[in-house]
Amino acid sequence: MTSLIYMFKEAFNNFGRNALVVLGAILAVFISLTLTFGTLVFGEVVRVNTLQWAEDVRVIAFLQDDMTAEATAELQNEVSSWPQVADIFYVSKPAAFDEALVLFSNDEAMLRVLKENPDLLPASLRVQPVDPEDYDLIVIRLESTPGVASVESAGDAIDAMIALRDGLQIMFWLLAVALGVAAVALIANTIHMAIYARREEIEIMRLVGASNWFVRTPFLIEGALEGLIGGALAVTFIVVAQQLAVDRLSELPDWINLAIQNDFILRQGALVLLFGVAAGLIGSSLSLAVHRTLRS
Amino acid sequence: MIKLENVTKVYPGGTVAAKDVNLEIAKGEFVFLVGASGSGKSTLIRLMMREEPPTNGDIWIAGKHASELPSWKVPYLRRSIGTVFQDFKLLPTKTVYENVAFAMEVTAKHRSVIRNQVPQVLKLVGLSDKADRLPRQLSGGEQQRVAVARAFVNRPLILLADEPTGNLDPATSVGIMRILDRISRTGTTVVMATHDHAIVDAMQRRVVELDRGRISRDESRGIYETRDPQPLPESSDTELFEETQDGADIEDDLDDAIDEETSKALASAIESDRAVDDAGSSEDGLSDDEDDAADDDEVTS
Repeated sequence: MTSLIYMFKEAFNNFGRNALVVLGAILAVFISLTLTFGTLVFGEVVRVNTLQWAEDVRVIAFLQDDMTAEATAELQNEVSSWPQVADIFYVSKPAAFDEALVLFSNDEAMLRVLKENPDLLPASLRVQPVDPEDYDLIVIRLESTPGVASVESAGDAIDAMIALRDGLQIMFWLLAVALGVAAVALIANTIHMAIYARREEIEIMRLVGASNWFVRTPFLIEGALEGLIGGALAVTFIVVAQQLAVDRLSELPDWINLAIQNDFILRQGALVLLFGVAAGLIGSSLSLAVHRTLRS
Repeated sequence: MIKLENVTKVYPGGTVAAKDVNLEIAKGEFVFLVGASGSGKSTLIRLMMREEPPTNGDIWIAGKHASELPSWKVPYLRRSIGTVFQDFKLLPTKTVYENVAFAMEVTAKHRSVIRNQVPQVLKLVGLSDKADRLPRQLSGGEQQRVAVARAFVNRPLILLADEPTGNLDPATSVGIMRILDRISRTGTTVVMATHDHAIVDAMQRRVVELDRGRISRDESRGIYETRDPQPLPESSDTELFEETQDGADIEDDLDDAIDEETSKALASAIESDRAVDDAGSSEDGLSDDEDDAADDDEVTS
């Protein structure tokens, strides 16, 4: 217990001694993880908003409520035999209800109505065209098919949004990786300087028989703390920015939902913090591995 | 306690710092390592504290095969060794108390043990009233006493001292030697590398003389100079040169008169210490410490 307190005290002491370098390392972690977490959150917003268009579905046929299971299976077989159709799958009423809970997570009134009438949403067939350009042909054929109540197809806005997400995600990931490497290098540098500043102390520690872990752990804690602080700043920044976007961009079309579910933020946020700590540990380990003072 | 068998140390570049050294030092012995600069005294100290492994040969320290010890186990070996150096190696930002406590903190000693032991060992070296001073507020002799306190606070089985009086004037050296002598009498094995003729002559302890990495003399109650000097071999011109280049030696020659006095002072000081101890007096508050240390030795050795 005494040594644990000692190790944390030593780790914190260096924050003051090397404030500027430590700040640089924390900022690098912050920027890198902001991009990473921002990419994840943006991807999630697009995913939520294009939920029913996922997996290349471009046409949705809502079925009449009085369709029997046999009739539905027969209809599914028939549509899948059309040459323009690559694949087709069935979304039941309960599945449609679950999907709507996510889709309308920012719309209190809609959620209330849905929860009062879980049967409200129709079952549907989701169609993936062989060629995305062919979707209008499928729409026309479906509209004249018995048992189909209405047909909806993905608009240009959906396609643009998905294309934007894919493009941005590649760019953001590349940037995040480059900055992540920079963050690890900067943390390694701060630890290197911390070791240098304490080389006399380390020499004496070794003389009097401090174990390797006793000498090294404060530096590992320091690296991990720098990563953790950078990660926490990144998560806070994105959560605040996303909240501001939800509040400020109220004139967006109804079908765009910027709200993100809390469990996504918690899960991915924790992962981002873990990444920060890992970057810190990797950086400080690299520094400890190359530093001669610490070799026995 | 310490055993070196056919130990050879060759540094990269071919410098032979120790050659076929065989040396056995028993528990509680006080041994001087003497010899010219570059004769291998410091190398032997470094080998004994496992600062570096020997090129060949075996070293046993406090019952452990030090030359075969994996590097992660070295810290645990070091806990049975105290070290004192010419340049004190104190932390300038820590007080006297903190410098001594540091040796206990980093070996994960409990705070209550630290609070109990540090004042005791500061009393041993006579610095109780300066516990709150920083090293720069102390004289050289006082700084070295702090270093000795730090080396002894974990009650090591062995104390290795590399020129501990090298930076101190003769009168101050006497004080350090008195403390080392007291530590030795607690059962701690003391090995001290030194250039200081006066101290070696006054203490009359075992003297191991080194010459270009080899042991050239080993006497149980020796003095600094070889009693029966051998003519220098022709090849030793450089050694002779190094000897005269050494400031300490020149100073020793110039200050022979002072050394005589110092040496007498040291001898009589140590005599009187012994007389006090033999009478079983605990006036100096050390008897308890010494008993503790002796107990520790029995348990660990």
